Order: sequence, then C-alpha cells, then structure tokens
Amino acid sequence: MISLPVLATILAMAAVTYLTRIGGYLVLRNRTLGPRATAVMEAAPGCVLIAVIAPHFVSPRPADLLALAITFVAALRLPMLAVVPIGIVAAGGLRWLLG
Amino acid sequence: MTIETCAPAAMPGDGPSELRSESRVEFWRGLVASLPVTAGFTPFALVLGAQAAQKGLSVAETPLMTGLNFAGGSEFAAIGLWTSPPHLLLITAVTLMINSRHLLMGAALTPFLKGLPKRRVLPALFLMCDESWAMALADAKARGTFSLAHYLGVALPMWLAWIAFTALGAMVGPVLGNVETLGFDMAFPAIFLVLLRGMWKSFSAARPWLVSLTVAACGHLLAPGAWTVAAGALAGLLSAWLWAGGEQPEEEGAAA
Repeated sequence: MISLPVLATILAMAAVTYLTRIGGYLVLRNRTLGPRATAVMEAAPGCVLIAVIAPHFVSPRPADLLALAITFVAALRLPMLAVVPIGIVAAGGLRWLLG
Repeated sequence: MTIETCAPAAMPGDGPSELRSESRVEFWRGLVASLPVTAGFTPFALVLGAQAAQKGLSVAETPLMTGLNFAGGSEFAAIGLWTSPPHLLLITAVTLMINSRHLLMGAALTPFLKGLPKRRVLPALFLMCDESWAMALADAKARGTFSLAHYLGVALPMWLAWIAFTALGAMVGPVLGNVETLGFDMAFPAIFLVLLRGMWKSFSAARPWLVSLTVAACGHLLAPGAWTVAAGALAGLLSAWLWAGGEQPEEEGAAA
C-alpha cells in the first residue's frame, strides 16, 4: 500500500516543509527588528499572497480575466462566504459563455 | 476592537475552568471563521487527490503526503514531477523552494508569539498554511493579541479537510477530472483577495504588493513555474526595504 521510495520522498518533503514553518520563528524569536526590517515584515504577507495568485492576473483567457475582475470587485466589499461562490460562478459561467 | 480578552470580569475564580471555557469560545470563533475558507479548499483537494492517483500514488500514500506536508502549492508541484519511483532530491528541492515563503510568514507572526512557550508554538506551527497564517495574523492585528485557541480553530478544520478530500480525490479520481474547468480554481484568488483587503492599510503600504504582483506576473509570462512566487515575493520585500530607508532622512513630505 505504501512503497519505500514513496514513503522516503513524502517524509523528506514533510521535513523540509516543517523546517520552513519553524525557521522564521526560531531565528527571530529573541530579536527586535529595526524600522527597515519591520517594513519588510509588514509587507511580507501581502507580497507572498499576491505573488501566489499573480498568474491569474495575466491569464490568456478573456473569460478568466473578466471573472477575476468580478471577483476583485466583490472582494472589495463582501465577506469571504460570498466572494468565493461569486468567483466560482463567474469563472464557470464566463468560461461556458466565452469559451 | 474588542480588547476584553484580559477584562477583569471573571471575579476570583479565573481558574483553569474559566481559561478552558474562554479557549473553547476562541476555538469556536476560529472554527466558524475558517469554514468558508475550508470549503474553498475542497475542490483543490479533490483535484490534487485525483492527479496523485493518476500518477500512481495509492489511496494511503496520498493523504499521508497531504497530511504530513500540508502545503498545497508544493504538493501540486510534487505530483506534477512525480515518477515511479519518485525523484526524491528534485521533489524535495522544489518543495523547499515553494515553501520558503513560510520563513517570512513565520517571521511576520513571531512578534505576536512572544508570550507563548516554545513547546506550544513549535507544534502549532505545523498547521501554518497560507490561509491559517493570514487569518491568524489578521486576527492578532485586529485584536492586539494572538489567540492560540482561535488559531487552532482556524487551522485544524483546514488540515482535516485537506487530508479527507485529497484522500477522497484519490479514491474517486478519474471521475472528476474536469473539476478544474468548472471555475472552482477561482476560489483560490477569491480567498486571497479577501485576505489582502483585510491587510490593506494605505496605498503607500501596499506599493510592495504591486511590485510583487508585477514581477510574479511578468515572470509567469516569461517562464511559468514555482520560481515566480519566490521572485515576486522577494522583489516586493526588496522594494519595501528600499522605500522604508528612503523615507527616513527626508522631511515630512508627500510620499509618492
């Protein structure tokens, strides 16, 4: 059911991933940051999140770009529970309409 | 805005039972907040499980990976690169590259973790994914204090759903090969855009986001791959570092 090479790969992945999770905390736990480092830390969350979804902003499909624009506008005002279905319906519907 | 976490409402008996019931309230608050996000996970989990099955991972191996690793982006990349037997070094290196953003995320969370002992923080960080981290950080900033119970309420349903639905995807795999085309992939940007709105402070504070977006998007157009996330994030951080330095020696002026 679980082969040895697969198990080894999974454990190696899990180990490096866990190290990335605790690394930032362990290194910075006993330090106070200067203004520049603070500015970097303040910007970090948004920079990471937007870099992850950046490909959606340059999709070659008009339907996807339009759906993203609709999702964006929804995200300005509405709660998470509404924005997620709006995004899904917009993407599914526009792809069906526009191909 | 509610700072009643340390209100002296509990008279003399703020013993362990008081603490426990407060933790329970916090846990439930986190759980409720995480539900829409957790629901947004499920289509990705099903797709990932289905892809894993296609690549020959068993119904036991798939949730083992997603449960122990619990970082979706790296798992999609790993499954994309999967062969039989898998190339251990390549997959581990790609996993490290994609998940290196956790270093920054953990660092950003650290100021709020100062009051907690290491033996509780280290296991809790196992559950730190993009979404649980962003929600915990937003909550800590809004309330001025990090609540471990709230964080666990947010993160545990995500982790359990991720395991359960990747396993389900591996079981029913081939049947729902077309989930992606139905629009479910838009759940991901939708979640992130709402989280970004929650982090919004001012345009000047958000300029590095624009740099990240531009670099990551251009990188994706040139050569799509996991590196664009790292390049985009780093470019944004570099710009934040430069802007922060440039504004100090100058007198108060228009920051444009």
